[in-house]
Parts: sequence; structure tokens; C-alpha cells
Amino acid sequence: MADPLLTVTNLETYYGPIMAIRGISFVVPERSVVTILGANGAGKSTILKTVSGVMDPQKGTVTFAGREIQGMDPDRVTRLGISHVPEGREVFPFLSVRENLMMGAFTRRDAAGVGEDLELVYSYFPVLRSRAEQRAGSLSGGEQQMLAISRALMARPRMMLLDEPSLGLSPRLVKEIFEIIARINRERGVTVLLVEQNANMALHIADYGYVLEVGRIVMEDTCARLLEKEDIKEFYLGMKESGVRGTRRWKRKKTWR
Amino acid sequence: MAVTTGLSTTVFGQDTLPKLFRHVVCERGHRVAMREKDLGIWRAVTWHEYGERAKHVGLGLVALGLRHRDVVSIMADNCPEWLYTDMGTLAVGGVTNGIYTTDAPRQVEYIVNDSGTRFFFAADEEQLDKILEVRARCPELVKIVVFDTEGLHAFKDEQVISFDELLELGLGYGAEHPGAFDRMVELARPDDLAILVYTSGTTGPPKGAMLSHRNILFQIDYSDYVTALHEGDQQLSFLPLCHIAERTVSVFNPLRTGATINFAESIDTVPENLREVAPALFFAVPRIWEKFYSAVALRMRDATRVGRLAYHWALSVGARVAEQRIAGRRPGLVLRLLFRVADFLVLDNVKRSMGLHRARGTATGAAPIAPELIKWYMALGIDMREVYGQTENCGLATAMPADRIKLGTVGIARPGTEVRLSPEGEILLKGPHVFMGYYKNPAKTGETIVDGWLHTGDVGVMDDEGFVRITDRMKDIIITAGGKNITPSEIENQLKFSPYISDAVVIGDKRKFLSCLVMIDHETVAQFAQERNVPFTNFASLCRTEEVQRLIGGEIDRVNRQLARVETIKQFRLIEQILTAEDEELTPTMKLKRAFVNRKYKDVIEAMYAEA
Repeated sequence: MADPLLTVTNLETYYGPIMAIRGISFVVPERSVVTILGANGAGKSTILKTVSGVMDPQKGTVTFAGREIQGMDPDRVTRLGISHVPEGREVFPFLSVRENLMMGAFTRRDAAGVGEDLELVYSYFPVLRSRAEQRAGSLSGGEQQMLAISRALMARPRMMLLDEPSLGLSPRLVKEIFEIIARINRERGVTVLLVEQNANMALHIADYGYVLEVGRIVMEDTCARLLEKEDIKEFYLGMKESGVRGTRRWKRKKTWR
Repeated sequence: MAVTTGLSTTVFGQDTLPKLFRHVVCERGHRVAMREKDLGIWRAVTWHEYGERAKHVGLGLVALGLRHRDVVSIMADNCPEWLYTDMGTLAVGGVTNGIYTTDAPRQVEYIVNDSGTRFFFAADEEQLDKILEVRARCPELVKIVVFDTEGLHAFKDEQVISFDELLELGLGYGAEHPGAFDRMVELARPDDLAILVYTSGTTGPPKGAMLSHRNILFQIDYSDYVTALHEGDQQLSFLPLCHIAERTVSVFNPLRTGATINFAESIDTVPENLREVAPALFFAVPRIWEKFYSAVALRMRDATRVGRLAYHWALSVGARVAEQRIAGRRPGLVLRLLFRVADFLVLDNVKRSMGLHRARGTATGAAPIAPELIKWYMALGIDMREVYGQTENCGLATAMPADRIKLGTVGIARPGTEVRLSPEGEILLKGPHVFMGYYKNPAKTGETIVDGWLHTGDVGVMDDEGFVRITDRMKDIIITAGGKNITPSEIENQLKFSPYISDAVVIGDKRKFLSCLVMIDHETVAQFAQERNVPFTNFASLCRTEEVQRLIGGEIDRVNRQLARVETIKQFRLIEQILTAEDEELTPTMKLKRAFVNRKYKDVIEAMYAEA
């Protein structure tokens, strides 16, 4: 097997004195979609921020395409081919949609290529073309998410880090966005590392999944197999046996087997 | 209050638990009996409230049709309601029986039917579901009472009532039948059955050990054996109340001492709760003592160089003091002064970090412990005594005396009782603490009590001063293919002393050599891997890394060096699953069960012997 595109080894990241990631190792093979599941505060976003260089790890290595990138500045990481779509979209509200997209291409010097890519994102998200001159702040939440993903694509990345793209979106929109993420992966060969709370969606588009609980990986497997696990079903997919009374409220203990 | 001799079978002149309870409730009135944390605040319950609620539980049960000697089962984690139900049931002539909250419905069904339980107390929705699942097959069950009805407001069932409804019933019954309660309190005789304690059967189904009022009062009278407690002293309750040791320490002994019981919020919060409560007396099982030790050992490794040096220096001073004490000598003046300094600078902080700085005494029991561990605690200046006993003798059988310590032994017979060895080396006990027998099981009772001597099933030796050393459970002794007798628990204790090993089971019966299965300590091993940049994801992958395999191999080699050649462990495997108390492999006190482990990991075990 070829070396994975991204290898994370024993990563430890702190917020001040608080250890958010307590020693994490995982790999993301080229052209795959890998998901990290976890509840609030499990450390999912921290992993993405550490990979993209927004945060520096205390310990551990992040290897991207054979090169150690931990502790590098975010702009250099972007130049190496990693685009980060942060949680909560973070578009520039007072810039137009088009300007936002061009901000995504700030590292590039090939005007022709940028033009092509602009067409490409408009083809993925036609609504952005019709809103091209509108201020990004006036877009709906779903449109802003589309814009954030498109902005990341404008850097023509080898790998995209997606932080909860489904957050605050209607179920129909979530489905649409996930379909396009799958298409981007398939058609453009972009490797995707996806962090999600919407486990059902994530497990259906990803190839491989890791489950994170308070800063540690407790389970890993192919998504097909994860979907069959009892703990995943009960705690991430909200399916459970109803018990003798038909209205069970208490939770089983997680065993991660 | 005078320190007791441990010889009496009455306490404050009372000869049954109900009478004793009534007496102390009356005496202590509005002083604090127990505390429970509610939404982050410790809330006190006075003896008066304890007495009133127990009375209403008892009368409520009578209103529901409880008859003299009916069995009442309680399936809940430690909480005040557990105690109200325990004392209330006893007061009206019932018999209480605890069921582990980790038991599965199948086990609940067995115990409910074997004991003929008529009233079942469930902690909450979760435990209620277990009894509901099997109640159709429990013909003698009359009512189910639920302590915490959260999530059950829409639930209506003929057979189920809430704890509050039961108290209401009791209040009503009391008003209609004045004086009835006091008559019922007088009902029990000292030799009557008071409680049932089911012993977890590693072979065959569990058996209900019958303990009388006399058994229990006799043990209460010896509650000063580690340190004399007084009103205002604090204790922390967290081990299961179904276990005779915790029941004695947290429910029965305080009837005499008046110490305040504080309920830990959960097993996970024990370290925090311990620091908050800072108990005067602390009883725990070896697993807890091992965990505390590992935590300190681990913290010291991360400490600064100066910190580490100070720790080692202070501990060496403490160890010298401990050695003097063990030898029965008073340390010299210089050493005493040095210890003061070491305690002030270092040891006191270590004790504080564990919440043991106010502990006048601690005890360990219910499982074997490595002597080195006791020595470590003694070096900190903590008085730790190893005790030995079993359900069948109502808890304590032997204890380490204060003035004469022999590490590696479990001390001498408690006053008023005798210890003897059978020709096979089995430990036999005699005295007022020996139980009444197994419930509805005269055959087993006959095998266990012969001519008044309780056969413990433990093998040991006794020296000329009466100090008992337990070698192993009789049925656990391994006889290798070479015919050599080996006592696995001694080896296992050595292994468990490693901060990286949580538990181990040595295997080798009828085999050419010894092997073992190891359960690693998740926290410490994960930290070890992290420090060395060993990549791992989940628990199984951690177990499989070469470095962890080497680490545990190294720990086993360290133990091997202390063993005779035939006793060395030649092969080992790690258990790659995190086991919880719900798993059959573990006892409720988180010990690996040999028989289950042997069965469940049969393939792994066979593989070890096939390879060699």
C-alpha cells in the first residue's frame, strides 16, 4: 500500500493547561474520505485546527505527503495543499461572494486556472453564481456553507478538512452538501477528512471512521462495519431497543467493542 | 465512649439491630447521620430523619402485606434510601438482601426466586427494567418500589410504586396503628436471620449466606479495631453495600460509632469525593489502593527533578519509620524529627492529594494485596491494616494488630474467635461470627460448617504467634503437569504491584509451564505509549503495540526473578478489551474471575501452549 497522504502520530494539543487531544494517531489515505465522529468537546475541531496549523501541538507529528507539517503556519500548510473549512463557515460577511471565492485562491498565481476553478465551483453550486455580487453576509446558512466549501476548493487542494458542514442546516440541505462533498472526492480526487456530529451522514459517505471520546480514539473501523456496532447505533445513530416498557430512557454503558 | 473489646454480642445493651437502631436514633436525634451530594451540594440527613424514614419504609411494607421473615431485595447503588430500606425492613421483622446493580436480569431472576423475595427495591429506571423483564417468572414477588422515578412519570403499573408513595403508606399505617412499630421492633430475637448476602459464585450459582443479629452485633462490637471513631468523624461509602465489608463499615458500625457516612456520587468520582470528605477511617479493596499508588507514581514521573528527589528522600525517611514500627520499635528521636520534616514538606501533600490526610486509620481487605503496597502507605505515615474474612463469618475474621505488624500476613484472629488449620492447610474459623448457613441449602451448609468450624476454602499457614498467611483459595491452587503445587494469587499480587498491570490471571493447571493473561491499566499504559511516541488508536491497538508487549514482558520478568524456576511465567497475553463490572469476567469489585477467564479466553490460552 502506498503511504497515506496524511499521517497523524501521537498528537497532543492543549488549550492552556487543558489537554484537548490526549495522544491521537490516525491515517488518511490518498483520495479517500475519512471521518472522525465524536460528541461536543471530544476534540474533533482541535484535530483539524492542529492539522491545518491554526493550533500547534504539544507533542506528536503530522505528516502530509511525506513532509512533517506540525507547527507550520497555516498559510504554508494551505500552500502545501490542505484547505480547512472551519466550523460555522466563517465567510467574510462584507465581501461579495465572488471576492470571498477569490480570497480562497490567494496563494495562486495562475489566473487561468483560477478562472477555471471559479467555473467549477459555480457548476457545483449554481446558486453562488447568481449571488456572485451579493455580500456574503446576506446569504442563508446553507449558501454560506456552500461558499465556505467553494472557497476552500479555490485553493485547488489535495486535501480538504471539513468541520461539521451539516451544522445548523436543514436535512435536505445537509443531504445536498454531502452529495457534493462525495462528488468533489470522486471527480476531483480530493482527499477529505470530515469531522461530524451527524454520524449517519458521515458514515454513509466516508470509507473509514474513527470515534473520538474525550480526546482519545476509542474505536476505528470501516464505515460499513461501524454502522453495525451496537455502541454506534445507540449513541451515534439514536437507534436503541425500547426495552420492556417501550420507553427506555437510561443509557447502556459504552464498551466500544 | 469507651473503646470496645470486641467480645460482646450486644451493643449499648441492645441485642438486635432494630433495638439498637431505635436506641441510637433516640440518643442522637438531630445530629448528622449521613450526607449525600445533591446537585453539587452535600446535604445532611439527621439520625432523627433516618429513623423516621426507616420507620415509614417498614410500616409501608407492612401495609403492603410484609410478613415476619419476608425477604426484601434492594438493587441500588449506595444512597440514603438503601439504608432507610435496610433498617426499616429489619425493624418490622423482614430480612434484607442486596443485589449488585451490575447484575443482569438473568442473575436478578435467580436471586429473587432463590431468596423468595416478596418486595423489590429498584434504584431507578434502569434497575426497574431488569426486574420488569423477569417478573413474570418470579411468582412470589408482591411489589416493586422505585427510589428515583425520573423518566417514569408516564409509567403506570399495578405492581410498581415509588419510594415516596411507600413512605406515605407507612405514615398512614402508623397513624392508624399507634404503637404497632414499637411492638414490631421487639419482635426479632438475637439468633433470628437478619440479612442475606449472596456470594458471587465463581463455580455454580450464587448462594445466600444467612447472617443473624448476633453475628452482626458481635462484629459491630469490634468496630474500633483500626481506630476508635466518634460522632463527627467522616467516612466515605462507595464500595457496593451488597458486600458484607461495606455493609458492616458503612451501615452497621456507624450505629455504634455515630460516624457520618458520606455517599460518593459514583465510583468514578471517588478520588474527588475522598478529597472533599477527608475521612477519619477509610476501608478499600486492593484495587483502589493500587490505583491511588499508580496515580502518585505516575505524577512523580512527570514531576520536576527537585520534586522527584524530595519525594524519594521523604519516602525513604517514611520507610525507615515504617520499618521501625513493623519491628515493633519506637523510632529514635532523630528519625522522628526527620519524619516531621519529610511529612511537612512532602508526605502530607501526597496524603492530601489522596484525601487521606485526616485518616487516623485505613484498612484493606476482600482480596490479596502486595505487602510492598502496604509498606508504601505506611511510609507515607498512613496506618494501614490488612484484614481477612468472608461473608460466611460476617466480615472480619483476622486483622493486623496495632502493636505488632507482620506484613504478608492478615494478622491474628479477632478477639473472641478461634482460627485453626485443617490437616490439608485449610483455614477454619470458630466463634460468634460464624454464619447460620446457606439459605434453603442444608447440603452446602453441612459442607461448610463442620462441628462448629467454618471451612473457609482458603489455604494458609499460621505461625507460633497466631499470625495467618493466606496462600490461596483451595480450588485455585495450580498443580502443574510436573506435579508442583503453585499458588497463583501470590504471583498475581506481585504482577499487580506494577502500575501498568491492573489485574492478571496465572494459568498452568495440568500444564507443562505457567502462563498468564494480563489486563493492562489503561491510563498508565496509554501515558507510557504517549511518552514514547508509540502510535495507537483504541485499546486493542494499544495492547498490540510491540512496545507495550515489551513493557508488560519486562514487568513479568521482574516478577519472574523473584520466583523459583518452576514458578516462572513463560508466556503471556494481554486481554484486548476494556472490561467493565457488567462483564462476567469481573467481580463487582473489579477482580478477574479465574473460572470465567479460563473459559472465555480458552482459545488464547490454548494458543500460548500450542506455540511453546
